[in-house]
Amino acid sequence: MTHVNSQKLDRELKKGSAELLILSLLEARPRHGYEIRKLIEARSDGVLKFNAASLYPLLYRLEKRGWIEGKWVEKAGQRRRRFYKLTKDGRKALAAQRSIWESFVAAINRVARPENA
Amino acid sequence: MPDWKPEIRGRLIGLRLAPTREAAIVEELSQYLDDCHEELLAGGATPADAYQQTLAELTGSEALARELRHVERPVAPEPLTHGTNRRINMVADLWQDLRFGARMLVKQPGFTLIAVITLALGIGANAAIFSLLDAVLLKTLPVKRPEQLVFLENEAPEFKRSSNISYAEFERLRMQGQELSGACFFSYTTRVNANVSGQSEAVEGQMVSGGFFSVLGVPAMIGRTFTEDDDKESAEQAVAVISYRYWQRRFGSNPAVIGESVNLNGVPFTIIGVTPPEFLGVILGNAPDVFLPSVAGERILPRRFRFRDSSLPFILARLKPNLPAPQAAAALTLTLQQSRLAEASGSSEKQQAIQKQTVNLPSAAQGFSELRRQYSQPLRLLLAAVALVLLIACANVANLLLARATARRKEIAMRLALGASRFRLIRQLLVESLLLALIGGATGLLLASWCSGLLVAVVTSSRNPVTSGSQLSLNVPLDARVFGFTALVSLLAAVVFGLAPAWRATRLELSPVLKDNASGLGGGGRVRWGQMLVVMQVALSLMLLVGAGLFIRSLINLKSADLGFQRENVLLFSVDPQLIGYRREQIGSLYRRMLERIGTVPGVQSVTLARQGLLSGGGTQGSIKIPGHTPPADENSFSEKRGEKEWNAPWFAQVGPRYFETLGMTLLRGRDFTAQDHETSMKVAVINEAFAHYYFGDEDPLGQRFDRGNDGGEVEIIGVVKDAKANFIQERTPRTFYVPFLQDPGAWRETTFQIRTVGEPMNLANTIRSVVQEIEPNLALFRVRTLAAQIDESIGQERLVTTLASLFGLLALLLTCAGLYGVLSYSVNQRTSEIGIRMALGAQTGVVLRLVIKQGMGLTLLGIVIGIGASFALTRLLTNLLFGVNATDPLTYDSVTVLLLVIALLACWFPARRATKVDPLIALRNE
Repeated sequence: MTHVNSQKLDRELKKGSAELLILSLLEARPRHGYEIRKLIEARSDGVLKFNAASLYPLLYRLEKRGWIEGKWVEKAGQRRRRFYKLTKDGRKALAAQRSIWESFVAAINRVARPENA
Repeated sequence: MPDWKPEIRGRLIGLRLAPTREAAIVEELSQYLDDCHEELLAGGATPADAYQQTLAELTGSEALARELRHVERPVAPEPLTHGTNRRINMVADLWQDLRFGARMLVKQPGFTLIAVITLALGIGANAAIFSLLDAVLLKTLPVKRPEQLVFLENEAPEFKRSSNISYAEFERLRMQGQELSGACFFSYTTRVNANVSGQSEAVEGQMVSGGFFSVLGVPAMIGRTFTEDDDKESAEQAVAVISYRYWQRRFGSNPAVIGESVNLNGVPFTIIGVTPPEFLGVILGNAPDVFLPSVAGERILPRRFRFRDSSLPFILARLKPNLPAPQAAAALTLTLQQSRLAEASGSSEKQQAIQKQTVNLPSAAQGFSELRRQYSQPLRLLLAAVALVLLIACANVANLLLARATARRKEIAMRLALGASRFRLIRQLLVESLLLALIGGATGLLLASWCSGLLVAVVTSSRNPVTSGSQLSLNVPLDARVFGFTALVSLLAAVVFGLAPAWRATRLELSPVLKDNASGLGGGGRVRWGQMLVVMQVALSLMLLVGAGLFIRSLINLKSADLGFQRENVLLFSVDPQLIGYRREQIGSLYRRMLERIGTVPGVQSVTLARQGLLSGGGTQGSIKIPGHTPPADENSFSEKRGEKEWNAPWFAQVGPRYFETLGMTLLRGRDFTAQDHETSMKVAVINEAFAHYYFGDEDPLGQRFDRGNDGGEVEIIGVVKDAKANFIQERTPRTFYVPFLQDPGAWRETTFQIRTVGEPMNLANTIRSVVQEIEPNLALFRVRTLAAQIDESIGQERLVTTLASLFGLLALLLTCAGLYGVLSYSVNQRTSEIGIRMALGAQTGVVLRLVIKQGMGLTLLGIVIGIGASFALTRLLTNLLFGVNATDPLTYDSVTVLLLVIALLACWFPARRATKVDPLIALRNE
């Protein structure tokens, strides 16, 4: 896979899919912001990159919308961190967004695949 | 470990977050940056590098600030809101809906433009007709507490334009009545010769009693209005109040006009005040230029304005506050009866008659108006017609919205899936409709302001029913009432065209829509809705077109009706020598000289005169007695016809020599009048067929005599003419007799000269004017016009109704056509694959064409059938506005049906053509 890092595609993709990414990552268990950033980068083999300035607005927006919920958690001997978990509404939204995404990707594929393949 | 907090804070400045919130964000982000920095150091980066890279995490923080600004707002403005059912935030939600709605409209300018134009036409037509209807039928006078104002009149059927109360009785009622807080009287308006610094012009004058302005509660804009003292014999000087318009027109709005002198019919009057601009008098459509106190007015106006000798024309009174009119009427009746009993001689028969007389107090809140009666039904009818047009327009917009809802089903499904309530979504869609309607309404108002000017021009150009001849003036502003009406109509329209599509759009099977792009909102359902709307549109336009067709037929009949005289090549003009001080005995010789002189002008075939021109809207009646004849039983009786008292007595006209020849009327027997029928010769009359038949049956009327009583004594019948229309084209010619004007003492008023010319009559106008000036330089000619033009004026109302009804009919047809086209185009799109399969299986172009056209014409036919049924039921209401055509006239119905079918076929043709262009391969690939 080629390394796609043009700023433009980055922005577009993030706009359309960043919410889906975050929701998906929180499906399994609650995570904190830095963890989410690292996971997106790692699982996309570095294709998708967020920084603090682009990630947190998304988190706050999703939280505001009631799809995720942030909580300060303190562990012994560590500084407290804010963990985000998926809410019930968030789960519904994730399902809906996934199905849209899937049909979108399928549509793109149908269009883009080489003819006579 | 570096402290990131100042860096983060610096980037949040300007957001004005709540302190605790800001602290939380700063803590969370600095925690994040710590993690990042630690990891970089652990990975072997130099501290300087690690610091730089960590700070890079904050690049693009303007996006952070922007996002936070959005996110941290109390209400998320994103369109894809989750939506709740909570009632709080109603206002905020509404604001959000509005902004979102506006965005959606801007996003689809084509849709918005078409919807707005459609609505603007519908709403604009409504606003224009309403503004006229409001001015003529609904609006109250611009005076203080108009609801307290009443006309005071004695029940008096035979005097339609008189209160039938004498001046003495008026004074008694005014002084003794505990019921009234004030009373005044006024005349109808009349032409007055006004001379300001040597320049003469004819203006509209109105005689009013001293209390007129104070009873109305109309203050002077500048100067003062009349007091009771101004209207007394003892008044020191003759004073006048002028109207705002006259002040503007004649005096250039110069405030120094107060104290100026104006010569009215040769007598100097001092101007003491100007009325406010909105006050146009109390007779609707007859705005006076000059108000005169009644005493002074009697000195300068012809005899018929000496009201103090007979009965007062209009009495206006203001009731005491909170006093019901019937109670006041009962008390005033008693006062009037007592006053009359005291005057009456002893005969008990007379006393009993007096005890039956009553005082009526009809409301004067709207002033006096003949226009109101004349235009009441047509205007209501037109309002109904424009309401139908609006309904058709709404159907079109509803269709557009339905189509758009299909396009937006994804968005709507998503919102529903995310938990938005249906109510919330319907509200959002309705707000969009409302926005459309309001923009349409505002545009419509612009249209209306332009149209209503034209409408007023048509209404006021029709003949003036009160004082035949004066130009009507009507105030039709686009005021708060029209504004309110338009807003209300727009609101209603929004609900009408928005609710059903919104209801339908939000009734979705969610999973299919979300899963798959193809369907979910039953395409068929949308088509069914659209089809129902089209059927309704066709039915409504058929009704409008049938109405218009009937009016057109009716107007054609009016224009081609046999009038009994020749309307072409006749020039008319009017004069009133009494205005320049002529006395009765001088008028006869003046007219004789004028007739002689005009007769010698080249191009004049013959010339005559009459009290009133034909079809000028006025006529005179008088009772007669025929010696040795018992009159038919209903002679002189009164009957009620269309709300008007009708007197069953013959009509008569005072006319000049060669009258029948000049007007081209057919003399059946006997002779025409000549110059030898003058004051001292034998008194004669010519009668029409109806007269002959009514009184004499088969007997020979020539040589018979009848008695006109005080009006002219006994006359001998010397001729019989064919019936000719005199008052209205619509009438059956009533029994009429004609007498020479020199032999009728009542003929000395305004007179109309009638000149038959060889060529175009108006070409002679200037010659005639100068010829008259030679004879009497001061005599003003007014209402110079042709007979044909006067006849056209007499059917002004019919022309207005026909023109507007046709216009609205065509508009309806156009909108319906667009609706049909839209629905079929949509249906063709939906059926692309079906059509593709058919064509792939070998269907010919013709078959596909028929397929689509059949669908469209099926809808049209269904609409036509419904429309014909409804028209049959409703056009009966038009019966009394029609002339010479039945409300169920088959020709009209047939031609309208054919017109609709042809136009509908046209609307079907283009979508059908498009269907035949479907490429089967492409269509099938869509599957």
